Amino acid sequence: MVVVKVHGLTKKYRDFTLSDVSFTLSSGRITGFVGRNGAGKTTTIKSMLGMVHPDSGSVSYFDMPFAGNEAAIKKRIGYSTGTVSWYPRKKIIDIVDIVKRFYDTWDDEAYRNYLRLFEIDEKKTPRELSEGMKVKLNLALSLAHRSDVLILDEPTSGLDPFSRNELLNIFEELRNRGTTVFFSTHIVSDLEKCADDIIYISKGKIINSMPKSEFSQKYSNAGESLEDTILRLEGGVFNA
Amino acid sequence: MRNILRKEMRLSASILSYLFIFFGLMFLLPGYPVLLGAFFVTLGLFHGFQWAREANDIVFSALLPIAKKDIVKGRFLFVCLIEFCALLLMALSIVLRMTVFDSPVYRTNSLMNANFFALSLAFLIFALFNLIFVGGFFKTAYKIGRHFVVFIIVCFSIIFVSEALHHIPGLERLNSFGFDDIPLQLILLLAGIIIFFVITFFSYKKACRDFEILDL
Repeated sequence: MVVVKVHGLTKKYRDFTLSDVSFTLSSGRITGFVGRNGAGKTTTIKSMLGMVHPDSGSVSYFDMPFAGNEAAIKKRIGYSTGTVSWYPRKKIIDIVDIVKRFYDTWDDEAYRNYLRLFEIDEKKTPRELSEGMKVKLNLALSLAHRSDVLILDEPTSGLDPFSRNELLNIFEELRNRGTTVFFSTHIVSDLEKCADDIIYISKGKIINSMPKSEFSQKYSNAGESLEDTILRLEGGVFNA
Repeated sequence: MRNILRKEMRLSASILSYLFIFFGLMFLLPGYPVLLGAFFVTLGLFHGFQWAREANDIVFSALLPIAKKDIVKGRFLFVCLIEFCALLLMALSIVLRMTVFDSPVYRTNSLMNANFFALSLAFLIFALFNLIFVGGFFKTAYKIGRHFVVFIIVCFSIIFVSEALHHIPGLERLNSFGFDDIPLQLILLLAGIIIFFVITFFSYKKACRDFEILDL
């Protein structure tokens, strides 16, 4: 079942254009949004969250257009644009006490479980957390209000290989529970590990959006890893 | 609405925004330009904006399950709350000067008297702060310096003109002491209150429009 539809997003900047970006996300699947730095991943995600206003195009969640249903939709999705970079000197417990009041679906028990699972000390302040712990805190906040869709902008960037692996395992666990996970990355091995679908963006254009297996079949040479395929595509075919 | 106001009070606000409310008590000072008290209250609010910006408060708010216009509403509500607390202290100071503190030191006040006309001017200063600074902030949700400098110029011009006004022949009644000319004082106060609400509402609506089209 399609839960997110992105249609024809276009945004022109002086030196970059996001061109006609369209794709869909299906429920209970992990979709990796891959592209090099500056390809348009963050602009797309920010447009999906209403933080950037596209010149044209539309985004809808659960068959509701985002415009006009912003608050209702945001209650059903979890998102993170980068790591926790807000209120660096406030205690996490105080921040969470404010955040949870905005969600009528907030599950305090689930939140406590994620704190334990991620080993987050809520008496700390965000500035006392490592990058990996910040991502986990963001995830705990998103998951505690039982979001149906998780949208994460480069959640694995800056993480050590152990934390990355841990995080990707969590994505798989969430997928098994029926949550749709959409995450951007420029680390192709993240996709190899857990993605069901791949959306590949280059220079502001969607090159392809398809299941990972089809992507490999269509583009990979014999014995070539997904990483090598995308590196080859990025360096040659689509950027000749 | 309660949630976003709570967020403003507990996460976004600087302690100075609260402490500077007490500058409203400057209305008790004799021989002092009392309207400076209103300016100091806005200085505390300015510091709060700076504090919130450094904590990436706007991005945090944009990720909450609320519409963008509610972020603007939350900030305006908080600013108005601080202003009303200060106005309450100013009103209390005026009433005390009119009654229990009715002493020669106030009667021979060389500067503007703290009467209800002064309070209406405090309403005007806060209205202009909401228009120039708070409204201006939401054009970028980042730049605060230029708007505050413009507000300082406007605010000090008002204070200067206000102090000079009652020296102009025919306008002496603006500086009435205590209960003298109370109907005139109350009419002027009502005008100040109306101006405050009209300007603040206009500024809020414009800030909502500006912020809605802003890319974060």
